[in-house]
Amino acid sequence: MEFEKLQDIIADVLNVQKEEIKPETTFVDDLGADSLDIFQIIMGIEEEFDIEIDNDEAEKIVTVQDAVDQIKKAVE
Amino acid sequence: MSDVTRVALDAMGGDNAPGEIVKGAVEAVQKRSDIKILLTGREDVLKKELAGYTYPSEQIEIVNASEVIETAEPPVKAIRGKKDSSIVVAMKMVKKGEADAFVSAGSTGAVLVGGQVLVGRIKGVERPPLAPLFPTLKGVSLLIDCGANVDARPSHLVQFAKMGSIYMESVMGIKNPTVGIVNIGAEEEKGNALVKETFPLLKACDDINFIGSVEARDIPYGAADVIVCEAFVGNVILKLYEGVGGALIKKIKGGMMSSLRSKIGALLVKPALKQTLKDFDLSEHGGAPLLGLNGLVVKTHGSSTSKEICNSIIQCVTFREQKINEKIKTVIQQETQENFE
Repeated sequence: MEFEKLQDIIADVLNVQKEEIKPETTFVDDLGADSLDIFQIIMGIEEEFDIEIDNDEAEKIVTVQDAVDQIKKAVE
Repeated sequence: MSDVTRVALDAMGGDNAPGEIVKGAVEAVQKRSDIKILLTGREDVLKKELAGYTYPSEQIEIVNASEVIETAEPPVKAIRGKKDSSIVVAMKMVKKGEADAFVSAGSTGAVLVGGQVLVGRIKGVERPPLAPLFPTLKGVSLLIDCGANVDARPSHLVQFAKMGSIYMESVMGIKNPTVGIVNIGAEEEKGNALVKETFPLLKACDDINFIGSVEARDIPYGAADVIVCEAFVGNVILKLYEGVGGALIKKIKGGMMSSLRSKIGALLVKPALKQTLKDFDLSEHGGAPLLGLNGLVVKTHGSSTSKEICNSIIQCVTFREQKINEKIKTVIQQETQENFE
């Protein structure tokens, strides 16, 4: 559920196909994202799930799974 | 589409805020009845500032924002942390469609980050460039990019050239504007890796009037209408331009005041010199738009006075009337389709 929504956000921001986005995919190395792209994805997540991700926690996000974990943690 | 252009104005940004910003807003609505200004900032402060002016009150509305993003703050942290700042509140209005444009003399970093993240890019636009107009011997040229994206890729520069051409043709009325890439020589094989890779891509574009390389010394002579470069280079060019201009004027003024004879001469040339300097006054041309966003974002100088603020607000009307964003969307979509074919 979280993963599918996240796929939509990432695909939209980075202009990539949803199929390219897997849990183990890394934002920088695999998808070519820069710091602004990641920031935009995080803002998209916060809006979509109505949560807030702490700056320090946001900086630790490397893979798509890391982002999913952050969402789950914040929703709980 | 309504006939009124709604401009969200960051009343708290810049060295002369809020005084000069509010004054610029008042001057704009005194000149034009087709503008509505949404002034974002501390309501009590802005009410006091506005109380000193007579203006059509229905054209200026205060939107309260309790926080201010300072120039020295790290942009990403500031945009995330200060959700009730004048910049964030104004940009969210553009995103929601409550305002057509946003003008700020505040933190450049925050405006660039907020523009990309809060207002958002047009689908397919890889990087939105900051593109100021600057005076040349032939009129004005557009320097694109002058500060938004260091370490740009060739595909980014190609999009800059296309967006810059649309801007010069639609806003400045220059038919088939010429496009040049900043280089260290005129020949195609000159340049760093980025320029060498970009040159053939620009040459292959049918929808722009690419004339090849432009050397920095030819820029003030009006070598091309659209000057394409990556942000680091563009920023250096812009600041050197401002610095050389200022230093030269200072030196000329000093020379004119050095003897009685030169002082008399100065008196005689003063009116002509004044007009010449006006032609080279950057504030006459408003601010620099951040192109390729889902809405218009204009960054003006941190030291902007009311004149530049007023001109930047009026510039938003032309941008909207000429449907620049729709034109950019069409060109970028075409590009995306061609890439898939």
